[in-house]
Amino acid sequence: MRRFMRPLIVGLVLLILLALPVTAVLARSYFLSPTWQPAQEQPIAFPHTTHAQLPQLECEYCHRGVSEDAYAGMPALELCMDCHQAIATDREEIQTLIEHWENNDPVNWERVHQMPDHVHFVHSSHVNYGFDCAECHGDMENEIDYAEQVRDLRMGDCIDCHKEYGAPTDCSVCHY
Amino acid sequence: MSARWGMVIDLDRCTGCQACVVACQAENNIPINTEDIFHQRRAIEWIRVERYWEGEYPNVKARYIPIPCMHCAQAPCESVCPVYATYQTTQGINMQIYNRCIGTRYCAVNCPWHVRFFNYWEPKWPESLKHQLNPHVSVRSRGVMEKCTFCVQRIVRTEQEAQVEGREVEDGEFTTACAQACPTDAIVFGDLDDPDSRVAQMASDTDRGYQLLSGLGTDPAVLYLKKIDPDATDEIDGIGPDGTRD
Repeated sequence: MRRFMRPLIVGLVLLILLALPVTAVLARSYFLSPTWQPAQEQPIAFPHTTHAQLPQLECEYCHRGVSEDAYAGMPALELCMDCHQAIATDREEIQTLIEHWENNDPVNWERVHQMPDHVHFVHSSHVNYGFDCAECHGDMENEIDYAEQVRDLRMGDCIDCHKEYGAPTDCSVCHY
Repeated sequence: MSARWGMVIDLDRCTGCQACVVACQAENNIPINTEDIFHQRRAIEWIRVERYWEGEYPNVKARYIPIPCMHCAQAPCESVCPVYATYQTTQGINMQIYNRCIGTRYCAVNCPWHVRFFNYWEPKWPESLKHQLNPHVSVRSRGVMEKCTFCVQRIVRTEQEAQVEGREVEDGEFTTACAQACPTDAIVFGDLDDPDSRVAQMASDTDRGYQLLSGLGTDPAVLYLKKIDPDATDEIDGIGPDGTRD
């Protein structure tokens, strides 16, 4: 019995030593994944659902570049003020907005979606292919009040989808 | 989407003005080459104009030849990369993937045309030039190779616009920065697989065409048209303009 113990213990120790870096790498990949990160707090709490449901705004009403340009774009303060000069002006958040407007001071929205470095994503070609915004951004109309990243959006995620829909997977399609 | 991009450079039209070099620097966020850097032989020029002197004084002629990446179909640089950072796209472009590159510089060593460049330092621009950087092109950091991409950002953009509008990319709809800047139209860029494209017709309708170092068998996608110069043949063959030997 004794003679089996030593190789067994050595084997076990080796296994644990090997498993540690593997676990560390997996844990890193999991905890550093963009979807795991808490959503950045915005300077003004903007509830997407309210805007999509009550005045029934289309996504493109504010994110105007989405079907023509690489970037969906953020609306200028003028667009907010079109309505909020009159609507809900007694609320705290709207008063902050008006303050920005009166001081000629643009709102510094925090970036929500983290993409890997050195990648060029183009909104227009994806939207024109027929994808719904919700495909990547989640159901901003009914479920997600405050924007957060719901999809991984790392290269594996991109490639899976490109393969599924027969889109090119040349490196140069995104990396240049 | 299926195209084989290529270029024809007519040396009879080239005046050696370097407009292509400047246009390329501006389009592709290429770091500024100072005199020091030239002396160190670390200058980055995705396209360069080589100058040769021909003949003896007083009959000296300057010969110019612009040299971009040849985008070889059988590229010697690709097979030596240990991390597959350089590869052939399905459209015949020899691409450098910056985030894969680990900077071994094997590719630059194996390139017979010396058109691959290494970033020895983090690129710097004076404050006044920061706003002229092209947002559609990555700024390469220290430690990676870079090279001519046939302005792939323009290709991708045009293809996406065509897709949005539901049509095919037309010949001449876009061109590379060097071809666009060329005042004498010496550089023509387009799809070699489309028989109606200007570049394919120029490549087929000529007996002046040649490839640089074609003997290596790398099948470059850049075709040169040699200079039409009656005097030059004189010097070589000893035949005068009237056809008599002197």
